[in-house]
Amino acid sequence: MDPYQFTKMVGLSTGEKHFIWGGIAQDLRSDGRQRLHYRPISVETGVIPQANGSARVRIGATDVIASIKAELGKPSMHQPGKGKISIFVDCSPTAAPMFEGRGGEELSTELAVALQRCLLGGKSGAGAGIDLSSLIVTEGKICWDLYIDGLVVSSDGNLLDALGAAIKAALSNTGIPKVNVDLGPSPDDQPEVNVSDEEFLQFDTSGVPVIVTLTKVGRHYIVDATSDEESQMSSAVSVSVNRHGHICGLTKRGGAGLDPSVIMDMISVGKHVSEQLITVLDSEISAAEASATD
Amino acid sequence: MEFVSPEGLRLDGRRPMEMRQIRAEIGAVSSADGSAVFEMGNTKVIAAVYGPREVQNRGQQLNDQALVRCEYSMANFSVGDRARRPKGDRRSIEISLVIRQTMEACILTHLMPRSQIDIFVQVLQADGGTRSACINAATLALADAGIPMRDLVTSCSAGYLNSTPLLDLNYVEDSAGGPDVTVGILPKLDKVTLLQMDAKLPKETFEDVMELAIQGCKAVAQYIREVSTQNFIFLASVSQLSVIRNLSMLHISYLLAQTNEWSI
Amino acid sequence: MRELQVGLNQTQKVRLQSALRQLEELSSRVSNSSTASVTVADTIPVNLEDGVLKGHGTTEHNGEVVATLCGVVERVNKLVYVRTLRARYKPEIGDIIVGRVIEVAPKRWRLEINFSQDAVLMLSSMNLPDGIQRRRTAVDELNMRSIFEENNVICAEVRGFQHDGSLHLQARSQKYGKLERGQLLTVPPYLVKRRKQHFHYLEQYGVDLILGCNGFIWVGEHIEANEDEMMIDNKSEETGKPDLKFTALEMQEKAFTPFVTRRNICLIANAVRVLSVLGFNLSLEVIIDTVEASSSLNLDIKDMLGAEFCVLTAEREVKRRITLIKKKC
Repeated sequence: MDPYQFTKMVGLSTGEKHFIWGGIAQDLRSDGRQRLHYRPISVETGVIPQANGSARVRIGATDVIASIKAELGKPSMHQPGKGKISIFVDCSPTAAPMFEGRGGEELSTELAVALQRCLLGGKSGAGAGIDLSSLIVTEGKICWDLYIDGLVVSSDGNLLDALGAAIKAALSNTGIPKVNVDLGPSPDDQPEVNVSDEEFLQFDTSGVPVIVTLTKVGRHYIVDATSDEESQMSSAVSVSVNRHGHICGLTKRGGAGLDPSVIMDMISVGKHVSEQLITVLDSEISAAEASATD
Repeated sequence: MEFVSPEGLRLDGRRPMEMRQIRAEIGAVSSADGSAVFEMGNTKVIAAVYGPREVQNRGQQLNDQALVRCEYSMANFSVGDRARRPKGDRRSIEISLVIRQTMEACILTHLMPRSQIDIFVQVLQADGGTRSACINAATLALADAGIPMRDLVTSCSAGYLNSTPLLDLNYVEDSAGGPDVTVGILPKLDKVTLLQMDAKLPKETFEDVMELAIQGCKAVAQYIREVSTQNFIFLASVSQLSVIRNLSMLHISYLLAQTNEWSI
Repeated sequence: MRELQVGLNQTQKVRLQSALRQLEELSSRVSNSSTASVTVADTIPVNLEDGVLKGHGTTEHNGEVVATLCGVVERVNKLVYVRTLRARYKPEIGDIIVGRVIEVAPKRWRLEINFSQDAVLMLSSMNLPDGIQRRRTAVDELNMRSIFEENNVICAEVRGFQHDGSLHLQARSQKYGKLERGQLLTVPPYLVKRRKQHFHYLEQYGVDLILGCNGFIWVGEHIEANEDEMMIDNKSEETGKPDLKFTALEMQEKAFTPFVTRRNICLIANAVRVLSVLGFNLSLEVIIDTVEASSSLNLDIKDMLGAEFCVLTAEREVKRRITLIKKKC
């Protein structure tokens, strides 16, 4: 089932659908964009002072908040040299009445899982877009657990890319307290941990990927689809790409089958678009950080 | 623990009768009919109002008044210690109910029969007094949505620690185990619509604490009135309201016809 | 101040704020003292001895007239009412509205028109496709979906309130009916003023613009509305017009809106979007003015939704109003 059907309150008429299809075919979408154009993006960081890092990203009328909380924990038995990250997403009913009660649960879960796939790599944490070994404090004993929470405040399509961008911005806003560890004399002793209140380490975000979703409507595919456009999609491919052009994760959604060559084509276009997106996000993030410190 | 220092200052440097800084902003959610952000210190909530619109579930339709619904939700990151709580836990349900009843009491529901008004409040940051902040945000959002109301209901809380009545408790003061009195008032009509307290308190002291909370509500009311007036004047001047003063005859006859229906 | 959903940089923010402040000053210079603004629960001063009719947005408390909305107080003879801005649509008889069909019910369609309830369009309140005045038969009733089906966007006129409180519409003219080949925009209804003309055929653009009083705005390809064509159109429908989904893609692409017209539709739609974000009244002149400004700047259509054009539009509006005031003086 197409989860995006929930994001649209009323359906479109045949005439409107036809108009959207035509616009995508003629490379002039309803708001004047071409197929590979984004809506204006704006970034605000440090919106949740209680969190270690946070950001609000708006792409057109889509508005999301991501927050990062760091807690000390114990690394898992299998990966003693790595920290842990978990991602959760909530769709607030303020965004659309159909998210009330359990209405947003399915979409929230789908988004959270897609984000995990795009940013965190496999179960072992290998190949993750975010470097998990930077979260280790004492190998096998203490590590940082990062809790990433996304909240959809207003929704007009392309939630996954917006959440990905918000997480990237929130991570670059994240300061993790410096920790002094006093290991006991014997290795079995519980180590003494001293968390600094003043010294913070900046999180290294150079490797964090961006997510680009290509939505296929008719014979063509577009980036940054609005919810009207998403209602017309046959399938969508989300690619997460880092600064070096490496693909860090991939999800295909939607029912319709795609020709493998089309998928390859979509991925290479996604990779190309990601370069521009990274540039835009970088400048927006540094502008946001600069205005936050003023 | 000492919550009021010998110099008469609280943990965050406030005086006992001092409220945290409040800030409000109207129009945060573009898709909603009305919306507002309300901050009390570090507590920050968003409220969005959808409606009045056709009742979604026909079975719930009321023939003589509007159906008012409310849902309160808390973002995972809103509290200090991050906790993943399932949606619709008992606390959320209770607060949703409190907000709904409080708002329902001031909305002129009989003017919008067979319709539905949804109020959604989302807590972004919780640092004590979320209930009050939610009610204040909901009031502003309803006013922004142009829904007729008897009065602008406002809310504030007060507590009693170290034998001192304290206005507008933050999270640390709230979790100290002392009483927390949440009051909601209709400032113009001078009526209390919401009153909740946990923990015990002698009656005389309770009176003082409640009076303090009411004073807090009045201060909030003054601010909220100012914000909504400012917002209106801004919208009006930008859209050139002065031009639309010439009424057509049709309009007048229609208004006369509606007069009986719309006034009480 | 309301938050605008545009990312502005520092200089743009300052420019926009100063433009908006100027607008505020200008309007306070124009308006006279009688337009007092009130907020909920404010007392409205009235002379009770003369007798007062309490209108919309007012109530009585302790013998005083009290506002129940934020707005300006308007007085017409004995009637006192509060005119508000941001609210759902308040229908008036004869209003031209654009709505979306929610349900096809027996003998009627239910439409979403941004009112507190769905509006009703009776089968008997609209001209039949054959154009003949006659009683509606059971066959007509069965064929209702061939006229309008769910999700269709249509244009109609407000007929009035029925005694059960429901709002009825009518579409007894060729200019009303189904809207296709274009896009629907929604804006706060207060931005659309009631005028003599709500249908606009913008000849130089080949575009139909319908400013619905309910804040639903249709921007679409121009359709010639004459009766012959309607009949032909319906005949083809009855003979089983092939569903769009099942025709070959090539066939469909031929039927797409021509590129030039589509460009114009997007231009006009984006002009409406910018104006509504800023909260400016949507009159035909201002919309066309905005379109022309973007063309003279040689702007990409999508950049009309960017921060810079938004600020420029605000600054142009200040100039426009200053000249308006000068003309009056």
